Amino acid sequence: MSENKKWYSLDLGLNKKKGSSGSCGCGKAEGGCNSHKEELSAEEFYEAAINASIGEERHKDGFEQVFDVKMDRRTAFKKLTASLLIGAGAVSTSCSLTTSGDAKEKAQIDWEEQFKGNYKLMTDDEKKKTVDRLMRSYELRTGKNISMTAENAAEDVLFGYAFNISKCQGYMDCVSACVAENNQDRNSEMQYIRIHEMKDGEGFKFDKADDNYYHEVPAEGHFYMGTQCFHCDDPPCVDVCPVQATWKEEDGLVVIDYDWCIGCRYCMAACPYDGRRFNWSKPEVPENEVNKNQHYLGNRMRKKGVMEKCTFCVQRTRKGKNPACVEACPTGARIFGNLLDPNSSIRWVLENKKVFRLKEDLGTEPKFWYFMD
Amino acid sequence: MKNKNLTYYALLFLIIVLSSCKNEGEYHSVSDRIKAEEKPYHGTLTSEELLAGRDLIKITEGEHTFLIPERKSQIKSFACIECHSKPLSQMKGTDKAKAHWDITINHANIETMDCATCHNGEDMNNLTSLTGRNIDFNLSYKLCAQCHTNQFEDWKGGAHGKKISGWTPPRASMTCVECHNPHDPGFEQRWPAQFNTQKAIERNEGLDH
Ligand code: SF4
Ligand code: SF4
Repeated sequence: MSENKKWYSLDLGLNKKKGSSGSCGCGKAEGGCNSHKEELSAEEFYEAAINASIGEERHKDGFEQVFDVKMDRRTAFKKLTASLLIGAGAVSTSCSLTTSGDAKEKAQIDWEEQFKGNYKLMTDDEKKKTVDRLMRSYELRTGKNISMTAENAAEDVLFGYAFNISKCQGYMDCVSACVAENNQDRNSEMQYIRIHEMKDGEGFKFDKADDNYYHEVPAEGHFYMGTQCFHCDDPPCVDVCPVQATWKEEDGLVVIDYDWCIGCRYCMAACPYDGRRFNWSKPEVPENEVNKNQHYLGNRMRKKGVMEKCTFCVQRTRKGKNPACVEACPTGARIFGNLLDPNSSIRWVLENKKVFRLKEDLGTEPKFWYFMD
Repeated sequence: MKNKNLTYYALLFLIIVLSSCKNEGEYHSVSDRIKAEEKPYHGTLTSEELLAGRDLIKITEGEHTFLIPERKSQIKSFACIECHSKPLSQMKGTDKAKAHWDITINHANIETMDCATCHNGEDMNNLTSLTGRNIDFNLSYKLCAQCHTNQFEDWKGGAHGKKISGWTPPRASMTCVECHNPHDPGFEQRWPAQFNTQKAIERNEGLDH
């Protein structure tokens, strides 16, 4: 395996080396691990475990740990607890003579996933490996295949969005399409997009607007407008994240590494646009409804306790398609495109229509403009 | 000595200010970045795959050149002269079964337009402009553009209507008749696609903010 990996590998006997003919990770042919000659005393084991998990950091004082860290505090914390748990689980699985190859592989994947780095810092090779692991892990768990990719931002691309308030009729086809595309939790009925029904002549009053109406639309005397994550160019949600689990990509998408997020919800509080959604419970999607075309930063399955939000359908847009909401809207109220391309429709809108953004005075620079016919 | 120190501090401060200006957000606003980095997109991503297998026509209107779907093959009863073998005036009043019974016109009022505003009784295979020139069925948007000039401008620019392609070139736009029934072009009132029961529960319990 490569030397400069950013996670630790546990040799579970899957990649057998010469000389170790045993069926378990400790290289013994018979008797499992217990008969190991150089058995560690409890104290030594404890030492070794801590060393393996937080390494040299433990020799530093508090100041150094905070200001001179190779890995951040989050990693240290997580490693100390989780590595002991997973390590124990993995070792016992690998050493048991009865567990199947699948279980071993699963343990190996869990182990490597646990200690992978922040996606933002990964090389393309590491990105590919984690995506491969996640696909394999899904296959091992469900017996079904998914296709997950990790396309990087394309060059000369900056994504932007425009919303035509005069066109939106409140049909909410975009919301349904978004939920289906992005594998959002069906139990809590999570939705990235909100369509606000507002009274004519009263302007934007979000506190008085209704975003969960159920009557024939458009209703007399009302107008409709949608909100979602605006992919701010100066996103406050990114600034506050204590572990850098959310960041802005080169093509302008504000994304989250669901495996790095610790669920502190700072970003949710910092977002002035109600753009973020939190998984209070384990997200559930019926197997036959899972969208299997996934992106690591997009619609792959999330877990309990992590943040998620609109990604402008990174799994679609980085392949050249439009987001699902744009495609689903029956009125053509939603326009998406490349802000850097002077020939794009989005640029035509910005230059020829009277556009505005929400709370512009905050300086968050949303890349989501509203306009009217 | 003190002065020297001060100068050092001042220099240091300047360096920090200058360097931080460069690293932290190279541009002051997104429009600055757009201005500085704009260039027509000729990257690797295209909509070719999305458009594969579709019958498209290239049109140029003003400064915009893009694709639209071919229309005639989609019209079930085209070509019209298969039935309209004689001018309309000669076909009227015969004891033939009533044709086009499913069409009711709900488009402007009768003083403004009737069937003959768009159809030429002498040449049913083509549409007709306000001045009596032929308009091909494939280019029916030209007919609409005669009155709906603002919508036409927006459509050309890409602000009105929908795309068949993704955000990547080549651009392929739907035409007017893809979304609007030309005989009844308005959008219907209907029920929203969904209702969020969880949100309703939270609201009832006063948990909503
Ligand atoms: S809308 Fe909210 S979540 Fe989205 S980038 Fe802006 S601050 Fe962040
Ligand atoms: S909840 Fe938000 S702020 Fe907290 S770790 Fe996750 S992404 Fe970062």
